[in-house]
Amino acid sequence: MKTNFILIAAALALTGCSQPSTEVEGTSREVNVFSARHYRSDASIYAAFTELTGIDVNLIEANGDQLIERVRADGDRSPADVLITVDAARLHRAEQAGLFAATDYSDLVPSIAPHLIDPDQYWVSFTLRARVIAFSADRVEAGEISTYEDLADPRWAGRICIRESGNAYNQSLLASIVARSGEDAAEAWAAGIVANMARPPQGGDRDQIKGIAAGICDVAVVNHYYYAMLANSAQEADREAAAASVLFFPNQESSGAHINVSGAGIAANAPHPEEARELIAFLFSQDAQRLIVEMNNELPVVADAEWDNPTLQAMLPFQEDARNVSELGDHNETAQRIFDRVGWQ
Amino acid sequence: MAITSTQSLNKKGALNATPFAILAALICAAPILAVGWIALTGDTGDYLEHLARTRLPTYLVNSAQVAVFAALGTGLLGTTLGWLIARTEFFGRKTMSWVLILPLAVPAYVAAYAWLDLSTAGGPLQAVTFGLFPTIRGSWGAGLMFTFVLYPYVYLLARDAFSSQSADAFDAARTLGASPLRAFFQTSLPMARPAIAAGLALVMMESLADYGAVSHLGAPTLSIGLIRAWSGAGSLIDAARLSLVLVVIALLIFGLERAQRRRARSVTGSGKHRPAPRTDLKPASALAALSLCLLPLILGLVAPMARLGWLALKEPIAAGLVQASYHSLTLAIISALIAAALGLSTAYALRTKTRIATIAARAAGLGYAVPGAVAAVGVIAILSGIQGMIDPAWTSLTGEPFPILLTGGAAALIFAYLSRFAAAAIGPSESALSRVTPTLDGAARTLGATPLQTARRVHWPLMIAGITSAGLLVFVEVLKELPATMILRPFNYDTLAVIAHAYAADERLGEAAMPSLLIVLIAILPMIFVARYLSRDLSGASQS
Repeated sequence: MKTNFILIAAALALTGCSQPSTEVEGTSREVNVFSARHYRSDASIYAAFTELTGIDVNLIEANGDQLIERVRADGDRSPADVLITVDAARLHRAEQAGLFAATDYSDLVPSIAPHLIDPDQYWVSFTLRARVIAFSADRVEAGEISTYEDLADPRWAGRICIRESGNAYNQSLLASIVARSGEDAAEAWAAGIVANMARPPQGGDRDQIKGIAAGICDVAVVNHYYYAMLANSAQEADREAAAASVLFFPNQESSGAHINVSGAGIAANAPHPEEARELIAFLFSQDAQRLIVEMNNELPVVADAEWDNPTLQAMLPFQEDARNVSELGDHNETAQRIFDRVGWQ
Repeated sequence: MAITSTQSLNKKGALNATPFAILAALICAAPILAVGWIALTGDTGDYLEHLARTRLPTYLVNSAQVAVFAALGTGLLGTTLGWLIARTEFFGRKTMSWVLILPLAVPAYVAAYAWLDLSTAGGPLQAVTFGLFPTIRGSWGAGLMFTFVLYPYVYLLARDAFSSQSADAFDAARTLGASPLRAFFQTSLPMARPAIAAGLALVMMESLADYGAVSHLGAPTLSIGLIRAWSGAGSLIDAARLSLVLVVIALLIFGLERAQRRRARSVTGSGKHRPAPRTDLKPASALAALSLCLLPLILGLVAPMARLGWLALKEPIAAGLVQASYHSLTLAIISALIAAALGLSTAYALRTKTRIATIAARAAGLGYAVPGAVAAVGVIAILSGIQGMIDPAWTSLTGEPFPILLTGGAAALIFAYLSRFAAAAIGPSESALSRVTPTLDGAARTLGATPLQTARRVHWPLMIAGITSAGLLVFVEVLKELPATMILRPFNYDTLAVIAHAYAADERLGEAAMPSLLIVLIAILPMIFVARYLSRDLSGASQS
């Protein structure tokens, strides 16, 4: 009896529940997307894409490293057509794993600044996020701080809120300093930040802004859209927290503010390469860029994109770091090891 | 006497579940073995050396602290509550006996989201206490979260152990002049120790393998370290090596638990079973007991849910929740049924006391020791390996590659779940089956029952509660599971945990709140049913 039960259960698991990914060729067109993004804006983008082209979008959203591993393990059997990740370092890693097909993106999406396209032509950036500095409206004078480098100055001892070093955006910020000033200078900077921390790293970026509001610290390093999310929040406490600090874009006189990207590339073994091209081109359409800015508070990559988001509008224009974002991937491991050595939790 | 009768049963071809135990072991241990293979055959860089010089000590200290805090908290709370419910009588006890299980429905990461949000600088708890309420974070904070949501493991096992204990030893101690407390420590507690140890082993392994809660609360344990090795240094190989350390720790915990069990064998085994009566508590003590029962409920269930509910009210409801609930339920039910069956067969196999059965059972437990993301890597490695063998063979036969992509179906996901959680089913099944003493078998066989009849008419009624709770534990675990689900799910297959995480990871706690609440609600509904069922004989005992 038990034997039967086990067999039935096993059969259920293998047949009833599994959905073999045999592709229905012919009339319906589809594109398989593996994405490390998980935003409502993206669902709207895919829906708009399907409506426009009639191509169905099949989606798996997961952590970037896990996606890379799944696509890599499946090899030439991988159903992936388009691979999307956040953070240039993940794009770099997917590239290293040979997951992308080389594609002339400057031809496919001509309106993009060159530093947002992988020099090896494996991927292209379609959204931007800036890592910027917030300071207390009460306790810090405007102009007291103007660069990332300033944060390591002893005058900020015990006054900085910043999250843990496992965070991809802290890593890319440090990687950008490695790219700009070299490993030793970057390590000295990271050690200076650790010495200046107001508390051990905890929580997310929004918690750092709330830390300023609660008087725990005077400056915080955050992604611009977390500030925008707080400022636009339905919760009054969130809006008050945002109001207690001032956001500014550092290094405007020098390297430009640090930016990281979401990027997409056509998979090396894409079963539907033509649909993949169409989807990637659509990510740069006015519609897609508008949804990204309006729903997700990210910055557009298409310069003449039209959108309506007053909080973001107030932050613009700013000068961004024009170094090719692929360098963030080149220096990611160095940055990680620096974090380990200086004891940044 | 007992041993010889068991052996003779086997020789006569009694129920032999060893093949199924081996199947369970294969399913559970294979991903870990695959990870081990990756770890041992991969290239060697200098990352581990770098790690050992920098962060490794912190990871190890944090892991130890989190596991110890969680074990202390759940041990204290679970045992106390188990004793109160099993051996005392007070107003509300019957309801509490099952309600106390419910915080298990709350994922540790959800509790962590809610409690950090409640206690963070500038949050509501600091506001009303003028900043005095400590921010819940770090290893003690993580230990606290695990205490809040995992104590039911210990409670459930301790309660059942206490209530099935014979009163003789306790009464004898009392007759000899021991205070109730002393009698408890010298008779009841030692007899319940195997059950408590089994609960603590689950708690410790779950807290060591956790990623969501410890990363949110800033308690970098080894599981954070290995994810970081993977995501940061991009070295899956070094991550695999670090996960082997977790496996070794799990083996140690297992070993300790087994040692407890063996020591306890000699204590139990009185022939005549006279259930311990429940002591009526005086009003003041009864009130204290009731408050003690309410406290973990508030901390583990009511407060986090209330906070999330409050946040959820102000946000638009995420799309696709109905379908995601359906997916979550489907996966959880199928996995729970299979896991319960595997747990049961492993328990039966263990009963034969053969070496191979013991090894199989221990191997099956290993999956619980590693983070879900690592188990998922193992599953992917195995399935893509098998695919790599099938495809050429199939192509040579039919001219086309094998039509099914093994990593693309829900079966891969269920494989990963079973690998992770079948261990949770083995423990309870085993302790359920341990209530069936070999002498009972002997009696049944003497009366002419066949092995199958013995199983159905003697074993089953005694074990059904334990097996059901085994399935339930797996059901809830699967419902809460995140990392393996994220990576192994088929196209367009969101679950509630996936949606909750997507928003929470983006710090949109308000939007994460509704799917989180749904996880808890879906987990709670069947749990109420089963918890009440599991607790039903507790009300019967006092009447006799």
